[in-house]
Amino acid sequence: MVYWILLQKSFMTNMQYKVAHLINNAASAIFGFVFIAIWAGVLQGKEQSSPYDVMDMTYYIAAAQCILWLSGFLTAGLNIQNGVRNGAISLELARPTNFFLYVTSQEAGRLVYNFFFRSIPIGLVFALTVGFYVPQHLSSYLFISISVLLAIIISVNLHYLVGISACWTTEVAWAHFVNFTLLAGLGGQMVPIDFLPAPLSTLTQYLPFAGAIYYPVMVFLEKASNDVIWFQLFWAIALTLLNLWITERARQKLEIQGG
Amino acid sequence: MNLYLKLLSGSLRSRMQYKMNFLVSSLSYGLIMAVDFVLLAAILQRFDDVKGWNLYEVGLLYGISSVAITLYRVFGVEIHNFERYMVEGEFDSLLIRPVSPLSLLLTKNLDLSRIGGTAQGVIILVISIIGLSLESFDMLLLLLYLPVSIASGVVICFSLGLLTATLAFWTQRIKDFQTFTLYAPFNAANYPMNIYPGWLKIIFFTVIPVGFMNYTPILFLLNKGGNIWNLAWPPAVALVFLCLSLRFWQFGIRHYHSTGS
Repeated sequence: MVYWILLQKSFMTNMQYKVAHLINNAASAIFGFVFIAIWAGVLQGKEQSSPYDVMDMTYYIAAAQCILWLSGFLTAGLNIQNGVRNGAISLELARPTNFFLYVTSQEAGRLVYNFFFRSIPIGLVFALTVGFYVPQHLSSYLFISISVLLAIIISVNLHYLVGISACWTTEVAWAHFVNFTLLAGLGGQMVPIDFLPAPLSTLTQYLPFAGAIYYPVMVFLEKASNDVIWFQLFWAIALTLLNLWITERARQKLEIQGG
Repeated sequence: MNLYLKLLSGSLRSRMQYKMNFLVSSLSYGLIMAVDFVLLAAILQRFDDVKGWNLYEVGLLYGISSVAITLYRVFGVEIHNFERYMVEGEFDSLLIRPVSPLSLLLTKNLDLSRIGGTAQGVIILVISIIGLSLESFDMLLLLLYLPVSIASGVVICFSLGLLTATLAFWTQRIKDFQTFTLYAPFNAANYPMNIYPGWLKIIFFTVIPVGFMNYTPILFLLNKGGNIWNLAWPPAVALVFLCLSLRFWQFGIRHYHSTGS
């Protein structure tokens, strides 16, 4: 299966940079410590007026820092824009493989690598220092797996959308910035979305960004109803269909221009 | 200096060829930082303060730190992306020119899209200063001192950027180090240093001295502690760090071996 081979190759490529990634992991943990310190400072003496206490927020930030490596820090535009710039896209789109699967399976390899060499080490750092939540119910592990998988699908699709837009705009750096900001900001990386001011907190619950970070973290912490998975599933399917459709449009556009 | 301005204006002209791209990227970069601050504001609106610092006080720290790092990203783009010169072997071409490699790097390119972030930092500073409702004397002192604080921040940021870039002579890749030496510390400097555990505070006042740029002087300027010496620390630390980073850069160049590719 060609997509499985692509996934494996991408995993192996990432293995080449293990030392550099370890350093980055330390930085990622420091980001986590900074966020935890902010929340500890903010909540000190005011825990009665908050739905979360300091420990809750410590667990929240620690889990969010781990999931960021699976559904936050993806390759900008999944590198589709490079193919558009150097013309390789015409060849890639013409291949008998499915372009969407071709691109996303490579990213999947990177994310499998991230899980083992980024999320788990960072989680261990938090477990040994400030504490890391361990889900209590056996059934939770099943829901967590599904929720995280759907979070990855949502985020990969959002990044694909940014990348494929290069077929029309050529430059995607700004689109990636905006996408990442919305993902981190409205996805609840630092601030759980129920803490946001009223109209924003309601709105963000329905946006796909919450499905990429906030919901999987809350399912992991056993603080959300498992029904949120349906909501994630909706966005995962909707975005995948949208991307398949856009890819087809991009292919037609190329054929008209003759590559 | 004349040469610097000439090279700079050339780079500026080439950038302005793509006005639409410049506008969109500036706006989006500004938006990113705005979302970041809105989140902070949302927390502080709800909980009033973070260890005794209210929204406007944190806003001062935040504004200085944002303006400093974004100005560095405008002028230091080639330093920031220095690993390209190592990976693609372009550094050799800089060594054979009659101008120092550092001057060439500083004048080669400007990343004007980051100006959106600078503007957003300035807006946060203005809002914070108005919101603080200080006595006129304190206000005057703060306004007079802000440029010093920002300039010190830019120099500290540039020095850290140059120290990190120099690592590329040995490690080739520096992107992963930058998260450690620039992004995480400058993000931390958006907030008061008194919220951090001891070991983090030690790092931010020694090896990565971002705490001096805004926290130390603002502490005194807002009558939160310290004395007049707090105002001398930022430029002094910036100068020492600049000298250290320049020496390390020279040391790196002396040990540079071309890949021959």
